[in-house]
Amino acid sequence: MTDRVLPVILPLPKALRRDASSSRLCLSLWHAIALAAFVALTAMAADAATGQPTRASVLVVLARWSPLLLRGFGFNILISLMAMAIGTALGVFLGLGLVSPRRPVHALSWVLTEFFRNAPWLVLLFFMIYMLPFRIQIGPLSIALPDWVKAVIGLGLPVMANVAEIMRGAVQSIHPGQWEAAESLGFTRNQQLWQIVLPQCLKRMIPPWMNLYAILAMGTTLASIVGVNDVVTLAGQVQAAEGGRTDLLAPLYGYVLLLFFIYSYPIALLTQRLERRYAVHI
Amino acid sequence: MHGIAIWFRHLYETTGINLTIAYDPFDRARFLDGFLVTLELSAITIIGSIVVGVIGAWLQGARLVWTRRIVQVYIQLFRNTPPLVQMFFFYFGLSSLLPTIKNSFGMQEPPVSGFAWACISLIFFAGAFNVEIFRSGIEAIPSSTIEAAEALGYTRLQTYLNVVLPLAMRVCLPALTNNLVNLIKTTTLAYAIAVPELLYVSNQIWSDSVNVPVMMVVLFIIYTALVGLLVAAMKAWERALHRPGLGT
Amino acid sequence: MIRRRLALVALLAGLAMAAGAGPVRADALQDIKSKGVLVVGVKADYPPFGYRAPNGDIIGIEPDLARDVAKRLGVKVQLVPVVAANRIQFLEQGKIDLLIATMSDTPERARVVAIVKPDYYASGYSLMLPKSIKITAWDQLKGKPVCAIQGAFYNKQVAKKFGVQVIAFTGVAEALTAMKQGRCIGFLYDDTAIEGQMLRPEWSAYAMPLPSQDAQPWGLAVRKGERSFYDFMAKTVADWHKTGLILKLETKYGVTQHSKFAEEMHGKYE
Repeated sequence: MTDRVLPVILPLPKALRRDASSSRLCLSLWHAIALAAFVALTAMAADAATGQPTRASVLVVLARWSPLLLRGFGFNILISLMAMAIGTALGVFLGLGLVSPRRPVHALSWVLTEFFRNAPWLVLLFFMIYMLPFRIQIGPLSIALPDWVKAVIGLGLPVMANVAEIMRGAVQSIHPGQWEAAESLGFTRNQQLWQIVLPQCLKRMIPPWMNLYAILAMGTTLASIVGVNDVVTLAGQVQAAEGGRTDLLAPLYGYVLLLFFIYSYPIALLTQRLERRYAVHI
Repeated sequence: MHGIAIWFRHLYETTGINLTIAYDPFDRARFLDGFLVTLELSAITIIGSIVVGVIGAWLQGARLVWTRRIVQVYIQLFRNTPPLVQMFFFYFGLSSLLPTIKNSFGMQEPPVSGFAWACISLIFFAGAFNVEIFRSGIEAIPSSTIEAAEALGYTRLQTYLNVVLPLAMRVCLPALTNNLVNLIKTTTLAYAIAVPELLYVSNQIWSDSVNVPVMMVVLFIIYTALVGLLVAAMKAWERALHRPGLGT
Repeated sequence: MIRRRLALVALLAGLAMAAGAGPVRADALQDIKSKGVLVVGVKADYPPFGYRAPNGDIIGIEPDLARDVAKRLGVKVQLVPVVAANRIQFLEQGKIDLLIATMSDTPERARVVAIVKPDYYASGYSLMLPKSIKITAWDQLKGKPVCAIQGAFYNKQVAKKFGVQVIAFTGVAEALTAMKQGRCIGFLYDDTAIEGQMLRPEWSAYAMPLPSQDAQPWGLAVRKGERSFYDFMAKTVADWHKTGLILKLETKYGVTQHSKFAEEMHGKYE
């Protein structure tokens, strides 16, 4: 990378060229402990601020509601997995359209990709919640669409556009000489794509695809705004069930942050490692 | 102006396309206000997050291990948690732990407004990504360049601001553009803490006038235009910074 | 290849048609009678009009009204909880047959669904304020921040008429939290709902000192174009007013002061 940009004589000074991965890996456990300590601290600060011994301690409240909150968090993960599956399946088709040499196919794919990449996720979610019918009828088959399914669709569409874009980027990163070489060997365009180019793309697509998944997992919380009973909604309901104590809000939301961090951080680490392993050297 | 209003009212009566923001002065005023709040929110958070990115990337090059670790903790915390919950944590959670001030009508009030919390949490969120982006740009700078600057008598800070950063900027502009586009889209989250931005006022309007599809189309158009504007500006900046032989 | 593509086009077209067509019914009244169930959309978070009993059932004034309609039709009743944001869509899409969900009768809504005349109830809006705040008239609120709920139709009126700064949240819990934190001086909501809220002990330090504003009639709604069902419901509501059923239900659910609208309608139809 460096060599390609400007000629180098000496390696970078140490301060600028730390191997980021090693420092990050040894921090992983440390981070989680720090965050847990942070939640406990806000809990204690909240306890101290109110100074009313008659009320349940914040940590007791968190422990009491943990099963419910964890179930809500599981729902977030379920939504993210389903949206990722749908978005990836559709995104591959859209990506094929983006790299298609046929003008109308390419143009249509481009418009769809740009639209769903540029629209705010929250607006797309509102759109799906209001615009999709609650039930669709296909012949004798009747499919119910509860709010959380609409949320899955609403989150799946931007994922689709991003997957398409990742695919386009990967295909373009393959040297054009390979297409020409394959053509001169008598491969048809479809064969060139499926047998020569795409197999090489797959590895390069995995890290950005995982990055996208991490972003999507964070995005599932938006579903709470449009009325899906996810972990964020539940955190609010727990606060209401405890009599609307405002001192509970920081620990409760801190707890939700912790759940997401514990889930998402290992994914981020793995992504980084894969990124380094699959780094493209041209 | 009046004629336009009449035409849009006619459009509503004949087709049901109810664009209240075109003929109802109250709706138009609050829609414009919402648009301005979104612009303001975007501008403040874009600038703020770039500043956080520049400072963070500088601190990452610090000699002290602990400075680098703290920056790492910050980045990982904000990258791996949902921005919506961050916002709730700040607005509802931290607010109730912070001291309050007495306001003009004799009530205790939190000192930081919803708009300010939205700015703070969005800046920290996008800033965490910017630090990483700038760092990857800095890593692409050859050490010989830095040593040349040092040989000319630049201090470390001067080298960073005058040599490293301008060169790194050229390398990481595309990634930065991507992140800032995301930031503009993420400003809609301020809706959840009652900051009267574009989505918030649109929601008010479609509740009053039952014109969800029309307002949705308007929202999509405006956000697409905003994103387009940002991308064009960043492209122009990229061209202005372009030096032959550097970057791709 | 071509055949596969044709199949895809046909599938897409089928999907589009299925999504666009929606439910088609000859006559809702006949339909309800033949399936033996009346599906009614009611509120589940709005005591005393529709709320959850500890065992999970939805009870209140509106569920009782729904049961009365079902009794008249000789069918069973099924209650579906709705919120302001989805109630009209549920009715339009056929998920529910009848909507009795504290919905104000506005011209915009009457364009989309058939709101039954006469209206069955009425409520205005008012402000829940801490007792420590001495405000006696709406005009004194000019420029002051007030917490509210996204989607309430009077947010616009209050901002327009009294110059109040409305801060709207996504739910009641958020708005009440924000009020407790002092982000606004009071909570703007339906007067009927504030009264229900203040029955709970945790709100004993709050009051509703200002006169209710702009009483709006509440209408129940059926889908557009269902003439016979509409006529049946219009007769039913008139009968409720005649027999004073709504006044009786108010007493049953602990409303101490009868609604002026319900009393007037009772006098008119008796």
